[in-house]
Amino acid sequence: MLLGRDVLDQQVIDVAGHEMGKVDGVGLELRDGEPARVAFIVIGGTTLLWRIHAGLARWAERRLGGEGHRARIPWQQVLKIGVDVKVDVKAERSRALHWERWARHVIRRIPGS
Amino acid sequence: MSKLLEIALGVVTGIGGFLEAGSLATAAQAGAAFGFRLVWALALGTVCLAFMVEMAGRLASVSHHTLPDAMRERFGIRFFLVPLVTVALVSFLVLASEIGGVCLALQFATGVPLRWWVAPVILGLWLFLWKGTFGMVEKGASLLGLVTIAFVVGALKLGPSPAELAAGLLPSLPGHDPAKYWFIAVSIVGASVSPYLFYFYSAGAVEDGWDESYLGINRIVAGGGMAFGGGIAAAVLVCAAMVLHSGGIQVDRYEQIPMILSSPLGRWGFRLFVASLAIGCFGAALEIALALAYLVAQGLGWRWGESLQPRQAARFALVYTLALPLAGLVIVTGIDPLKLTIFSMALTALSLPVTVVPLLVLMNDPQYLGDHTNGWLGNAAVLAVSVVACVVALVAIPLQIFGG
Repeated sequence: MLLGRDVLDQQVIDVAGHEMGKVDGVGLELRDGEPARVAFIVIGGTTLLWRIHAGLARWAERRLGGEGHRARIPWQQVLKIGVDVKVDVKAERSRALHWERWARHVIRRIPGS
Repeated sequence: MSKLLEIALGVVTGIGGFLEAGSLATAAQAGAAFGFRLVWALALGTVCLAFMVEMAGRLASVSHHTLPDAMRERFGIRFFLVPLVTVALVSFLVLASEIGGVCLALQFATGVPLRWWVAPVILGLWLFLWKGTFGMVEKGASLLGLVTIAFVVGALKLGPSPAELAAGLLPSLPGHDPAKYWFIAVSIVGASVSPYLFYFYSAGAVEDGWDESYLGINRIVAGGGMAFGGGIAAAVLVCAAMVLHSGGIQVDRYEQIPMILSSPLGRWGFRLFVASLAIGCFGAALEIALALAYLVAQGLGWRWGESLQPRQAARFALVYTLALPLAGLVIVTGIDPLKLTIFSMALTALSLPVTVVPLLVLMNDPQYLGDHTNGWLGNAAVLAVSVVACVVALVAIPLQIFGG
C-alpha cells in the first residue's frame, strides 16, 4: 500500500455508507528501531491547508486559535481501502461533519428542505 | 430501465441539452459574420466533446469515481486546486450567461426588460434543484429542449447549398476580420466543449450506478447524442448564415437574433426561437448549477446527490443555493448577455488544457481504467483540439478586447 497514492486524498465513507470527507492528512507513529506506522487519518480542520501552503495554514490557525474542526480516526477503525476508504465510525457524531451540520442548520430554515 | 430506453433517453439528452446560450450565440455570430466558413470549428468542437463525454462516462463506469474525486485522489490537493478553481470560475460565468439567456427570452416574449426577470428566473431554477431529482433535471429539461429541432426545420426550409456547406467543413482563412474570425472559432469550440458537461455527465453516471456493462450505452450516447446536438448548432449557424450573412446584417445587438428563425418560419419562428432560447438556457443553467455543486462537493468529500433531500446533503445544496443568486447579480449589473456569453465561451476554450490534461492522464492510467484505457485516437484528438483552442484563444482574446 502506498500512503500517498492509496490513502491520502481518498474519499472517506462511514459505516452508514455516507461521505464524511477526504483523507486530508495521515498521522504516523515513529517507533524506536522499527519502521514508522500509520497511527490515524485526519479529516477536516486546517489539515488540508498545511498541504496547500504552510504560511496560509499558520495564518488560519492563528485566526482560529487552533486547528479548526479536525477529526482523527485511528488506523484500527479503517475497515477497507478500495475505491474509497471505509471507516468504522458514525459520521453523524464526528467532528468531520461540523460544517455539514452547520450548513444543515442553515438549510433547515428554508421550507421544503 | 431497459438499456434501449436509456440509449434513447441519452441521445435525446444530447439533442435537447446541447443548445444553450453559448452554442446558440456563437453559432449565430459565426453564421452572421462568416457564412458557412466556420462550420469546421463546430464539427471539431463536437467531435472533441463526444470523445470527452465518452471518457467521463467510461471513467465513472469502470472506476466508479466521479471526475473531481478521481482527480483529487490521483494528483493530490495542490494540483487539484488548479482545475477546481478554473472550472468553478468559468462555469460561474457560463451560469450567468445562461441566466441572461433565459431572461432575454422572457424579454423577447413580454417586452419587460431582462433585468426584471433575473429574480423570478433564479427562484425558478432554485426551486427545480431544491425539489427535483437528477432524472427530472436531466430528462425533463432535455425532452423540452427538443423544441430546438425548430432550427433544423428552419435550416431545411432555407435550403442551403450542400456543396457550400460541405466546403465549410474544411478550415479556411477568412477574407476579412481575421481577429474576429479566430475569436468566434475558439468561442465555438469553447461552447461545444464546456467542462461542466463532463462533470454533470460523470456525476450522473455514478449516481445512476453505472458499471462496465454500460460501456456500450455510454459510447452510443456520447457519440450519437453529441452528433445530433452538434447538428442542431449547425442548423443555427445555417439559419444565421442564410438570413443574416446573405442579407448583409451584422449581429451586434441581440434583438436581431430571433430573425434567424422568424425569417424562414414566420411568426411561429419567432415564438419557437424564444421557446428554444428560454428552455435551452434554463436546462443548461440547471445543469451548470448542479455541476458546480458536484465539483465542489466531490472534490472536498462532502455528501452529494441531486436525488437526496437538501438537508441530507446540506453543503452540496448550499453551493447551488449561493451560486444561483450570485450569478444572477452579474446579469443585474446590466452587462450585455450576448457579450458575456461569447466572452465566457472564449475563456472556456482558453482553460481547456487545465481540464483536459488531467482527464487524459487519468484515462490512460490502468489503476483507474483497467483494460479500458484510452486508445491513441481519443488521446490525440482531444489533446490536439484543446491545446490548439487554448493557443488560439490566447492570441484572439486580447486582440478582440483591445483591437475592437
